[in-house]
Amino acid sequence: MTFLEYLERNWENLIELSIEHAQLVVISMLIAVAIGIPLGVLGHRSGLLRAPILSVTSFFLTLPSLALFALFIPIFGLGAPPAIAGLTLYALLPVVSNTIAGLGSVSPAVVKSSRGMGMGPARRLLQVELPLAWPVIITGIRVSTQVIVGIAAIAVFVGGPGLGNEIFRGLRSVPNANAPNLIYGGTLAIIVLALLFDAVFVLIRRLTTSRGIR
Amino acid sequence: MTTSERPMIELVELTKTFPGQRKPAVDKLSMSIERGEIVVFVGPSGCGKTTSMELINRLIEPSSGHIIIDGEDVTNGDPDELRRRIGYVIQETGLLPHRTIAQNIGTVPKLLGWDKARISARVDELLGMVGMDPQVYRDRYPKELSGGQRQRVGVARAMAADPPVMLMDEPFGAIDPITRDRLQNEFLRLQAEIQKTIIFVTHDIDEAIKMGDRIAVLREQSHIAQFDTPEKILSEPADDYVADFIGAGASLKRLNLSRIRDVEMTTDTPTGLLSEETAALRQRLLESDWTAMLLLDEQRRPRRWVTIGDLRREGRSLDTVGLPAHAVVEGHSTLADALNELIESNGGVAVVVDAKGAYQGIVDLETIMVAVRAMREEHSAFYLAQKQQPEDAAR
Repeated sequence: MTFLEYLERNWENLIELSIEHAQLVVISMLIAVAIGIPLGVLGHRSGLLRAPILSVTSFFLTLPSLALFALFIPIFGLGAPPAIAGLTLYALLPVVSNTIAGLGSVSPAVVKSSRGMGMGPARRLLQVELPLAWPVIITGIRVSTQVIVGIAAIAVFVGGPGLGNEIFRGLRSVPNANAPNLIYGGTLAIIVLALLFDAVFVLIRRLTTSRGIR
Repeated sequence: MTTSERPMIELVELTKTFPGQRKPAVDKLSMSIERGEIVVFVGPSGCGKTTSMELINRLIEPSSGHIIIDGEDVTNGDPDELRRRIGYVIQETGLLPHRTIAQNIGTVPKLLGWDKARISARVDELLGMVGMDPQVYRDRYPKELSGGQRQRVGVARAMAADPPVMLMDEPFGAIDPITRDRLQNEFLRLQAEIQKTIIFVTHDIDEAIKMGDRIAVLREQSHIAQFDTPEKILSEPADDYVADFIGAGASLKRLNLSRIRDVEMTTDTPTGLLSEETAALRQRLLESDWTAMLLLDEQRRPRRWVTIGDLRREGRSLDTVGLPAHAVVEGHSTLADALNELIESNGGVAVVVDAKGAYQGIVDLETIMVAVRAMREEHSAFYLAQKQQPEDAAR
């Protein structure tokens, strides 16, 4: 069976796995953003906490992914949950560090004049600092997404969903003649998915960034 | 005390000591600022002038002392509420780059909960006041404006909720000299209308002299070296520190304080029209005590300076004889402008014209000197030593 024949017979299956894969990535990213941006704000506001926050989040990236996923099996069992937990931790560093960098790049004069006009700290953060830091923050989110689209393939080893299943099936069936097709098919779908995510981010960034700072 | 007598801003022994520093950055600053006046804080870098200003809207919380605005002690209480009542302009403008000009100007009104229609009407009014067409600018972003325009928007934004008090921290400091001069003049014209009570910080004594109704010259820790009108500070500096800070040329700086319309112009200069007969002009010049005559065009705009010699040359168009009279100033120009024109002029005098460019009179060196002397010590006598001119001796 040629690769094209494989694709022709398997495209429905590949799309199904891609959707699972994308869900895994999106859920992990949503959690990472929900945790990462507040952590970044904290790191920006408190010079004392900045270094510990950055070192802990970068520590996660040094762990081998398989080990990190496996760590969560005792807590969450097998399946998607341990994979989501692991992917979230991987995604944290770019989000956190870009939030800190983005907030740090907001002009002090803008912050000072906002204070001087009577904007309180919460209003200043939501209406001035985060909108101005947003292009840098969303770049961090984009980088994280690209990183975990790839890593999410490992989820299969903790019983998780996604395109890892196709690749793993291929690896198990070596030296079967069809094995390379499965491996390439899964990999190709991951690449396509990564490109699609990137395109979506270009669009989101454009739509959510004020014309004044584009 | 009635409202109008009460000072608008009173600072009572205002002190700020930053953590970890032994000496206070601002030490017992006390002053009282009247309604509608511009008080300039001026001093070298590090004298605490900006810190002093930021204590007033509590961007920096005072360590001790009191801030009283319009009779109300605002030293405690919600600082955000206080700041919404005080206009604030900084050198870097601090416009919100992600918001349009209209949104920027509407910031404080929005914080105060004005409705949309009222904010929008106010934005248009303010843009008009600072000389910017609302139709063109309200939906632009700060990055699409020039530095001078941004600073105008900064001023408009500070005035948005019509605060009685405005704090301006080197508002024109980052702008090129020509635009700065224009913005200063525009702002003074605006202030004549709006009558805000303004504290203005600068390190530039010339700007202080120009902008201030009163100037507080500050030395380190914001100690007041002298707090007085620009005239008094220039003519009677309290001590060497103030004199040094004014720098050389105090008398020349004083020229910036008087305007042409405040001094007596000379109006008996012989004048003629370009369309007149040369012989008639010659006759008129000979009958005067003057060495040259000013020729005007039909709209009485100054055109040429001519001497008797020029008028003797027959057969030449009057438009080409003599020298062009290009040194012209208007009544609102300062004596410094007049002196500058005078030095560059061909007639040794500055020609004063009205808004339409029509001839009014002339200002000569002597007029300027007398005016400066009179400012220094009222009615002081002095000799004007000068060499007699040959014609005078002959008469």
